[in-house]
Amino acid sequence: MKRATTEQLRTFFASLQTEFDVYVPVKLHDGTRVLGSLSEGPLALEGGKIPQKPTSVFFPQFDKVFVVDEQSKFQMAGPVAKPIMVVGFTAQDLDCLEFIDKFFSENYRDDIYFNKRDGSVVVGVSGRCGKDGEFMKIAGGKCDIELIYDGERFVVQAYTDKGRQLSERLVAPDSEAPAGLMDALSRESDALPTDDEDTIDKASDLIRAGKVPEDFWDDIASRCIACTSCNLACPTCTCFEVYDRKQNGKMVRQRIWDSCQLDGFMREASGHNPSGRQMQRTHRRIHHKLAADVERWGHKTCMVCGRCDDVCPTEIGMKSVCKMIVERFS
Amino acid sequence: MSVITKPLRRETEHLYLPIPCKIVSVRDLTPMEKLFRIQMPDGQELGHKPGQFIQLSILGYGEAPISVASSPTRRGYFELGVRNAGTLTGALHHLSEGDEVGIRGPFGTFFDVEKLAGKDLLLISGGCGLAPMRSLIQYCQDRPEEFGKITILYGAKTPSERLFKEDLVDWARSPAFACKYAVDCVPGDGCFDEGEIGLITVLIPPLKIDVQKTIAVIVGPPVMYKFVIAELKKKGMTEEQIIVSLERYMKCGVGKCGHCAIEHLYCCLDGPVFWLNQISGLRGAI
Repeated sequence: MKRATTEQLRTFFASLQTEFDVYVPVKLHDGTRVLGSLSEGPLALEGGKIPQKPTSVFFPQFDKVFVVDEQSKFQMAGPVAKPIMVVGFTAQDLDCLEFIDKFFSENYRDDIYFNKRDGSVVVGVSGRCGKDGEFMKIAGGKCDIELIYDGERFVVQAYTDKGRQLSERLVAPDSEAPAGLMDALSRESDALPTDDEDTIDKASDLIRAGKVPEDFWDDIASRCIACTSCNLACPTCTCFEVYDRKQNGKMVRQRIWDSCQLDGFMREASGHNPSGRQMQRTHRRIHHKLAADVERWGHKTCMVCGRCDDVCPTEIGMKSVCKMIVERFS
Repeated sequence: MSVITKPLRRETEHLYLPIPCKIVSVRDLTPMEKLFRIQMPDGQELGHKPGQFIQLSILGYGEAPISVASSPTRRGYFELGVRNAGTLTGALHHLSEGDEVGIRGPFGTFFDVEKLAGKDLLLISGGCGLAPMRSLIQYCQDRPEEFGKITILYGAKTPSERLFKEDLVDWARSPAFACKYAVDCVPGDGCFDEGEIGLITVLIPPLKIDVQKTIAVIVGPPVMYKFVIAELKKKGMTEEQIIVSLERYMKCGVGKCGHCAIEHLYCCLDGPVFWLNQISGLRGAI
């Protein structure tokens, strides 16, 4: 098993740019870490989860559905010209990706999503590279390659044939991981606290058991300013709006992320609006991930990545709300 | 009785690509509603079942879900009864015979006529709800031998706002149906001699229903459901004997855009036709 420095990995990713459209965590001039290309800034694998949801590479904020040209010919997007490689998924992000893969494939296969997802290479990042050196949970799968930071170098763990073939091309001389290193890292990962996951589980149970009264949702809703940040940050949020616009003589049908926290999200042309009150929308945001999706998919669809809590200006992200639920209604 | 009705589907390479279809006739139903008769290309059939919907597309204006208002037993075309209520439907109302629209679908669950076979049917619709109900009524009209006694109840705000007025007369004359109509009010000096004046719920108490043998189907504006269901329950009907078709805002029709979610169900995928016991207790369903 190889170990590589950040510089060796940067060289490796750069060498793959002829074959792949490579997205990696980079640090911009202002210090922000984003998913971007190597030309945008230095590779920034350390620092924890990327604020932007990495699933957005496959389900971007804007996406073309089709274009109709001046001769009224339809142009549908096909598979991307170069397959996509995304580096930077945390273990929780990989759980999210696994879910939205299922979401977009079951019942009807969403070809727009799979035009990007099919043939892609997903690289996870874990180990001692969290924010302020915190240990990030090892995924142990659900990606092609996982880069597990041991404090000095990244252990390169391949889980798929594609991942093994690619990692063989990584140049990292004298880099074999010492015996016992992976076991030590795995033990460290297994020992991570699960307080947040436990809280979400308990809150889910309480909601499903009908133990959370209506006035609680009224209370939480009164703090929501409908900024929609929670939805925009969530890797398992998949709602979208569709609209047509004219562009250079062509008609473009686009889809764009939508938010269930907006008043008009469910409003029908008749004026009927099943989520016309903020309380209904706040309830939906939490209930959907922790109760409705348990019914539909057999599991919660909050993977406890924490992004909604990071961005919510009024501190009513998933973890905060679930903590209140558990404290008040257990 | 099974409560899940699997949706029919048309597999295409591109899920969101509409098929160009021709409008072959346009007819005024009311000042606000028109009936569009549409043909698929190359003589194809839409392949729908009663109660299903399509995604109607007009380039530059977008796409919206519209219930099919005609029965698959009427071959060679399908019909849409559409109120001018939004951007897309406003644009549609400006189209005429020979114009093209885009169609995706059919989508969603349907009135499962195989499960309804041999039953007495109580078909209750209000306002625009008669459009999807018409697909089932026409089916029953064409194959009355498959069902028991069929009763049609229809309510509208005023006599002039009733949809499919010629059909209402035709169905009332048909030996296949027992029809009862109501209007909420009659404005000015007008008169209404084809039924009752009052809400549609006034039509239910006088009905003689063989409770064990009857299935009720309800399609109407959101406010109508709970009052009609309450009247049916007074008659002794249970949630296992009541079917509803619900309307929701939808952008995709295939369970992806998220707008039509009713807790764990998607109205486009698991509905729009539900057995009442599937959705009772779900927040915001009715």
